[in-house]
Amino acid sequence: MTETTHRGCPVTHTDYTQTTPIYEHYALLNADREKERFLFNDSTERGFFMLQRYEDVQAGFQQHQNWTTAVRSALRPGIGEPLLPQDLNGEEHLKLRKILNQFFAPAAVRRLEPLATQRCIELIEELKPKGSCDFVAEFAIRYPTDLFLALLGLPVSDGEQFLEWSEELFSAMLAGEPERAAAAKKNIIDYFETALEDRRANPGDPETDMVTRLLEARIDDEPLSREQIHTILLTLMLAGLDTTRSALGYIYTHLATHDEHRQEIVDDPDLIGKAVEEFLRLYPLVFQAGREVQSDQEFEGLQLKKGDVMWIGIGQANRDPRKFDDPDEFIIDRPGANQHLAFGGGPHRCLGMHLARLELKVVLEQWHERIPEYRIAEGAELTERGGQLTLSTLPLEWEV
Amino acid sequence: MFIEIDGAKCMGHGRCYAVSPDLLSDDDEGFVAERGTSWEVPADLLDQAHEATDACPEGAIVVTATAPADA
Repeated sequence: MTETTHRGCPVTHTDYTQTTPIYEHYALLNADREKERFLFNDSTERGFFMLQRYEDVQAGFQQHQNWTTAVRSALRPGIGEPLLPQDLNGEEHLKLRKILNQFFAPAAVRRLEPLATQRCIELIEELKPKGSCDFVAEFAIRYPTDLFLALLGLPVSDGEQFLEWSEELFSAMLAGEPERAAAAKKNIIDYFETALEDRRANPGDPETDMVTRLLEARIDDEPLSREQIHTILLTLMLAGLDTTRSALGYIYTHLATHDEHRQEIVDDPDLIGKAVEEFLRLYPLVFQAGREVQSDQEFEGLQLKKGDVMWIGIGQANRDPRKFDDPDEFIIDRPGANQHLAFGGGPHRCLGMHLARLELKVVLEQWHERIPEYRIAEGAELTERGGQLTLSTLPLEWEV
Repeated sequence: MFIEIDGAKCMGHGRCYAVSPDLLSDDDEGFVAERGTSWEVPADLLDQAHEATDACPEGAIVVTATAPADA
């Protein structure tokens, strides 16, 4: 007999780590949110308190002084690669963010737009004559990988090789195989080190060249260590590649199955900026952020204790009917669509949010100019990975 | 009407200056350049001030009828 309440909070058992048919996680998230305002989920060893309504999720992100990233995912507390800046909190975190912010600010991202557009066109033109592709493997992961290399001042022509290593690392990490992950990680770090060597010998402008900036940066008069720089670069890779691939997978599944929405952006590409915000709201990939409570606290009637794991329910907030009308519908000019929490909040809000928006916008513009009509291959069964959503494949077809 | 941007709450989402380009601007780090300040909003930009308030996921922007006490 399992308990039905935990410290007075109703208990749920929903397992959010399983691979399921596409969209099933959003249904689970909606169902849990409408059961009770707060739930305690006992599907993991430590369990976690779930914040689910928009207002509570927003408030949860404001609790950063007592709820830290000592736990980054409520589903996998204490497991995973060291990440920077994520693993830092308070002042230490702000100091490192201050070094990185300028490379991810809207102004910096705008400087990247010509290259982002050019690379996007090249990849689409390569695929177009084929009349079909696995959109996930042949486009959605290649594009952010190439731009990540560009951000580091590395040649996009290394993308294919780099992708092999990063995919190996993702898959080994998800499979919980530390030895295989370590081998893949070594290849990546060695590759980063060639870029670092080059910049040590030939420094660029630290205002525009991120690698140079990392090498020259000082925190409390101390330079970043070699390991810290490796971890930062690896973190940017882990944070930026899988998420963009996943977002593109859901967006293209939606557009391939909703002719009326696809036609809207083909007819009026100026709507794409709004469409991107609405897609981010409707299909968040990171559907929860984890936090660990550092000292006993009451939060909205919940009696929290030091060491409790918190689930900050991004996925539930983005489809909360208390905040958004018809929350499961895609409404291209939805008022206030950009109030979604897909990128989190508080000091740890997604560093790459403006780059992500740019990438999604450029892809939607360039793709629909060249391939305005496409469909999902007949018989394709679409599945999504639990934990942090992504589609394993998305076979698309179009006329040539 | 006055607008006040809490510099400690602002986390640099950049949504306020995206929806209120005539009232707010961005700095090199992507934060709203006017954070930590308050000022009287010109009547024709009041709509943008309210949009900025709604757009902020941190609740860092408020529009008030009177000047903030510490301004």
